[in-house]
Amino acid sequence: MVMKSSVEEDEAGWGLGIPEKMRNNANWVDITQEFKGACKELNLGELLHDKLFGLFEAMSAIEMMDPKMDAGMIGNQVNRKVLNFEQAVKDEAIRVKDLTLPELIGIVDTCFCCLITWLEGHSLAQTVFTCLYVHNPDLILDPALKAFALGILKICDIAREKVNKAAVFEEEDFQAMTYGFKMANNVTDLRVTGMLKDVEDELQRKVKSTRSRQGEQRDPEVELDHQQCLALFSRIKFTRLLLTALISFTKKEAGAVSEAQKLMTQAADLLPAIHSTIQHGIQSQNDTTKGDHPIMMGFEPLVNQRLLPPTFPRYAKIIKREEMVGYFSKLIERIKSVCEIINIANLHSILDFFCEFSEQSPCVLSRSLLQTTFLIDNKKVFGTHLMQDMIKDALRYFVSPPVLSPKCSLYNNHQAKDYIDSFVTHCSRPFCSLIQIHGHNRARQRDKLGHILEEFATLQDEAEKVDAALHSLLMKLEPQRQHLACLGTWVLYHNLRIMIQYLLSGFELELYSMHEYYYIYWYLSEFLYAWLMSTLSRADSSQMAEERILEEQQKGRSSKKGKKKKKARPLGKEITMSQAYQNMCAGMYKTMIALDMDGKVRKPQFELDSEQVRYEHRFAPFNSVVTPPPVHYIQFKEMSDLKKYSPPPRSADLYMAASKHFQQAKLILENVTSPDPEVNRILKVAKPNIVVMKLLAGGHKKDTKALPEFDFSAHKYFPVVKII
Amino acid sequence: MSQMASENEENGTEMQSEPEESPYSLARAKLENLLNKSMRIRMTDGRTLVGLFLCTDRDCNVILGSAQEFLKSTDSFSQGEPRVLGLAMVPGHHVVSIEVETESLPSSTQGI
Repeated sequence: MVMKSSVEEDEAGWGLGIPEKMRNNANWVDITQEFKGACKELNLGELLHDKLFGLFEAMSAIEMMDPKMDAGMIGNQVNRKVLNFEQAVKDEAIRVKDLTLPELIGIVDTCFCCLITWLEGHSLAQTVFTCLYVHNPDLILDPALKAFALGILKICDIAREKVNKAAVFEEEDFQAMTYGFKMANNVTDLRVTGMLKDVEDELQRKVKSTRSRQGEQRDPEVELDHQQCLALFSRIKFTRLLLTALISFTKKEAGAVSEAQKLMTQAADLLPAIHSTIQHGIQSQNDTTKGDHPIMMGFEPLVNQRLLPPTFPRYAKIIKREEMVGYFSKLIERIKSVCEIINIANLHSILDFFCEFSEQSPCVLSRSLLQTTFLIDNKKVFGTHLMQDMIKDALRYFVSPPVLSPKCSLYNNHQAKDYIDSFVTHCSRPFCSLIQIHGHNRARQRDKLGHILEEFATLQDEAEKVDAALHSLLMKLEPQRQHLACLGTWVLYHNLRIMIQYLLSGFELELYSMHEYYYIYWYLSEFLYAWLMSTLSRADSSQMAEERILEEQQKGRSSKKGKKKKKARPLGKEITMSQAYQNMCAGMYKTMIALDMDGKVRKPQFELDSEQVRYEHRFAPFNSVVTPPPVHYIQFKEMSDLKKYSPPPRSADLYMAASKHFQQAKLILENVTSPDPEVNRILKVAKPNIVVMKLLAGGHKKDTKALPEFDFSAHKYFPVVKII
Repeated sequence: MSQMASENEENGTEMQSEPEESPYSLARAKLENLLNKSMRIRMTDGRTLVGLFLCTDRDCNVILGSAQEFLKSTDSFSQGEPRVLGLAMVPGHHVVSIEVETESLPSSTQGI
């Protein structure tokens, strides 16, 4: 028997792999042939198993020798010895001193690439820790390499701490496991930056001494040396700046964040020098185009293979060096814009900042830095303001509730104070969660927004009760004033924003099919934006009422009647934008209805579900909201029934109406003073759609069977309709 | 796992109709005796898995519970340190040899 003999041959060596205990106590008996023979007697598809073990359990088994599931098989297929750091040093496979400049540059660059790959969601074991040097920097004798290895470890450690603390990652964003690696905790941050600075100074001296002098005949070797010194200098300095910036973020004192911003600007200045010298570093020695691991001196991609859990992504593709600088420059831009948040005082603007920042789909590190910069450990905003005070300011800014006006008798009333303080305290948590949600990746945000609606529904209920209580108090003190639906309006505003964002994000994530567009856009235009606009105008008039009272009080005191300058309404811009959005949604809704009439919307063959099932699924999270009440499918069908018009509109009428909506949106947006990029993005959709709808209304390509295309490239939520 | 899973699910349904001494029922009895015994399987790539025998089928696909992976002895790196795999299925065509621990083998079935 071939198989049997091969087993016996190796028998002696076998025990080596088996722990002492097993080797001594166990007496293994070979049953290969009997077993295989017995198996053959079983019927096709029959499983022989224990009573307690079934198909369900069997499904979760990992399949050996399957390259996707079996992490262990890779290590066995390479024809080289996998050495750890100590072994490699002992075997002189790698050097810990007298490294050449090209070697150092190559190692540093590969480490940077590993760092980036880790930040993009791979495990430390498969990225940074494939570099043997970082396993134990104490063994490194080369000062530059040692300082760099420690620097990288510190960067990883701080980044990991930040990401863990912010808790805005999911498994697809970030691997928090450290596999027990030592992250240079025996050395202080200050010591590491000091070491990096020393190396930097030393290199700078060399750079200066090799610099070309006027009229001197340039020795090409000296020139090369100069270039390489400069290359390493830039890299070491970059490492130090990145590390120091991250350390700044952990500091609590004021000014630390702007310090970080300055450091990042300096780091960005080094990037061109790094980019232009990539070719000076040593390259990996094998052909990586075939999907092999690159083999670089000091790196062993498989060194940690056995640390990985059985089911794990097998192979982390490390990004290319050419892409490294581009990534760093984007990362630096993101971190710099994170620093901007400390200049924003208003909670609503902060929320907008988080929304806008998240729209760029930033990396997990910058998202986490934003979170930890906003809410420091002591639960204070930027480490200085109480969340409650921020919320009170937001309320004043949005609805100017009398209870928060120093001029109102409620302001110093004990009972009123208790009411508003406890309400604001209750607001604190949902708003912190809302901000945290905006730190998650785009796909996860949607799900979480759906859930937080429940909390806001509770808050809404409380706001209405507090409003009522404050109103009855105020009626006794100042009968001419009102406290109706102030807090309620404010919570409702946030409620609506969340609901709108929930629906719109479905377009961005490409969740909806074409035949679903019409009810999503209907819900947005006829319902949510309509509510939002009435909420905003209620807030606006509440502000005006409060201003009038203030004015009257002031008139009474000062006889001087200065001509009041016309102030722009604080909510004016938002009201305008909502109108534009509503028109865009209405335009899209009518477009979809008309296209459907012309048979240009492909509908699924509903077998196990129906449109109602899908509709209810799409709006399911809204069921927990009391105001605005959810619109059920039957209501939607009644409300959107075209037969209630006489005569019922034809598709041409609807195209025309859609065109008018887009036209209206365009008009509104063109009148916006100081248009932001968002205004321009919507205009890019509105303009072509006006034309396309007019063409369609005129019967253009009415008989074509080709389905229209929806191009979301100009705007995430509104497509340009294309007729082919 | 798919091939084992997708086919017929429950075993033992046809067994009752088989006569006691048929090769089929003998084979089943043999295999059932091995269930939950400690088993050592050598695979075609030289690795060895040690775990509890939980399940098999006609193609000799074997599922081991609480499996540990041992590298081949020639590998000097992390020698002797097993890697915990948990539930693992070895496809029949990758099984080189199967051994069972005698301590856990009742004397009556010693010589299957």
